[in-house]
Amino acid sequence: MSWRNRTVRASAIAGLAFVLPAFILFIIFRFVPFIGGFTLAFAERTLGGEFTWVGMDNFERLAADPLFWHSLRVTIAYTLIVVPLTLALATGLALLVRRRFAGVDFFRAAFFMPVITSLVLAGIIFVWIFNAGGPVPRLMEALGLGGQSWITDRLLALPAIALVAAWSAFGYYMLVILARLNEIPREIEEAALVDRANAWARFRYITLPELRQVLFFLSVLSMVGSFQVFDAVYVMTQGGPVNATYTLGFMLYDQAFRFFDFGYASAVAVALFVLVFAITLIQRFLMGREDKA
Amino acid sequence: MTTTTKEAVQPAVVDSVPEERRRRRRSTGEDALFRPRGVFKVIIQILLAIATVITLFPFYAMVIMSFKAPTAMTFPDSLFPTDLTISAYAYVLQSDEMLRWALNTLIYSVVSVVLVLLLSSMAAYAFAKKRFPGRTPMFWMIIAMLMVPYHITLIPLFVMIAGADGVNTYWGLIAPSLANAQAIFLLRQFIIALPDELLEAAKLDGASEIRIFFQVVLPLCKPILATLGLFVFLWHWNDFLWPLIIAQTPEMRVLTTGVSSLMRESQPLNIQLASAALAILPIFIAYLFAQRYFTQGVTMSGMKG
Repeated sequence: MSWRNRTVRASAIAGLAFVLPAFILFIIFRFVPFIGGFTLAFAERTLGGEFTWVGMDNFERLAADPLFWHSLRVTIAYTLIVVPLTLALATGLALLVRRRFAGVDFFRAAFFMPVITSLVLAGIIFVWIFNAGGPVPRLMEALGLGGQSWITDRLLALPAIALVAAWSAFGYYMLVILARLNEIPREIEEAALVDRANAWARFRYITLPELRQVLFFLSVLSMVGSFQVFDAVYVMTQGGPVNATYTLGFMLYDQAFRFFDFGYASAVAVALFVLVFAITLIQRFLMGREDKA
Repeated sequence: MTTTTKEAVQPAVVDSVPEERRRRRRSTGEDALFRPRGVFKVIIQILLAIATVITLFPFYAMVIMSFKAPTAMTFPDSLFPTDLTISAYAYVLQSDEMLRWALNTLIYSVVSVVLVLLLSSMAAYAFAKKRFPGRTPMFWMIIAMLMVPYHITLIPLFVMIAGADGVNTYWGLIAPSLANAQAIFLLRQFIIALPDELLEAAKLDGASEIRIFFQVVLPLCKPILATLGLFVFLWHWNDFLWPLIIAQTPEMRVLTTGVSSLMRESQPLNIQLASAALAILPIFIAYLFAQRYFTQGVTMSGMKG
């Protein structure tokens, strides 16, 4: 064997040795559970703890379960509140802290603090903020809107969770948008300034077109996250009142770890997966079309 | 005076600007050009002030009410810094439970960070710089897992770990998060840009593969390892769903699941808030000192959760 072949082989062996520990962990803790997630959806756990095949039973049950459709509606409603709210806040505030001025670092840091804070821990104070006698209901009372608790109100519980989710995430999106804003060549805007274009015109015709792609990407990211929401629901409402905040992510947990119905919960997980995957595919498709245009 | 170079011109120009304005220009750079004026400026300042107050209000309420007696929680009096007591902190810091949860969280976060960084950089180095059979399919398999939502793997993971008696153990808590596709992907992007000559030179000097990795590759990766490590740490510190299902006994809980159990047990609010504030504190301290890395991490994109 030539010297060259030997080094190639030595390099290949070293390469495999470096990759295999991580790759084996991937097979065990990502790939097998991924396949397993689909498999379990066609099985049922008996009282003895063994799994038996039940074919499409779980999916038939899912399609006929009003709770599932309710949960899907709740999840979509939640997403429709969170995504626009988060992106509007993030874009607006990114524009306000875009230019350097005295104190700008303080504002940027302040807006990022909720991002690094556990939503579970912050949830404790938010329950107080939205509960009867807390700041938000008292403020509403002062405005003549009735002072009921948002947490136990069937209409207001979901918006409360959505507001908390937006609070927790907007700073992250703001930083991503800021990074994109910094890439806009300043000559364009300086030229517009010389032409006496006002702030709105500069935003509408220069900044917004430049932000289109990143806003699209972030809206998909936000949608995918919203579809899977769990932490805030668990801490603030436990799916209640009367299932008003029973999202798909919470249903998955509830069926699996409260009722120990692993097969049925896996069917919920598959439904959730299909939805999230569809969103991602639509994004890929639209992005691809944009690149060609 | 001839004006052949910019440097020659500048002092004269700057000298004509009053000292106060010059200082401002230096601190804000060219952005002064875009600075809003008049009523516009006031509106922006008011908006920023409102947004900041709303953003920080929960933190303020959490801290101030953690220093109140459980009987003094009525709004708005509970938000004034009067009648403060450290009784909640005294109670929390003396409870073995809280100490145990903090220890568990620390073990969960630190062990995961060290192992994720080590295993991922090893794999990333091989994917970036080595040729071996199966390299491309293995890499794509890992990248494809980036698209898989965590939820679909959750129940099978639990069934597997439970089947191996991993419920309420540290290994059961830690092991699943060691397969981190994002870390491998980002590290590979970084290592692929490192010059091959450096590695060749080390090889010619007779360094073994292991030495090249630890003494050449890893030191060069320091900046990205710092950013990545910080985010992996943050993610584990705040992780909730997996510890909730896999670490069920009170002794095995982490801070997020432990503090939320206080909530479910309806412990006094000041105790809950003091525990939450203490659990958040280390992250805030880290943020204070390493803000730059947090910001870098976000711009590397998609690293949250």
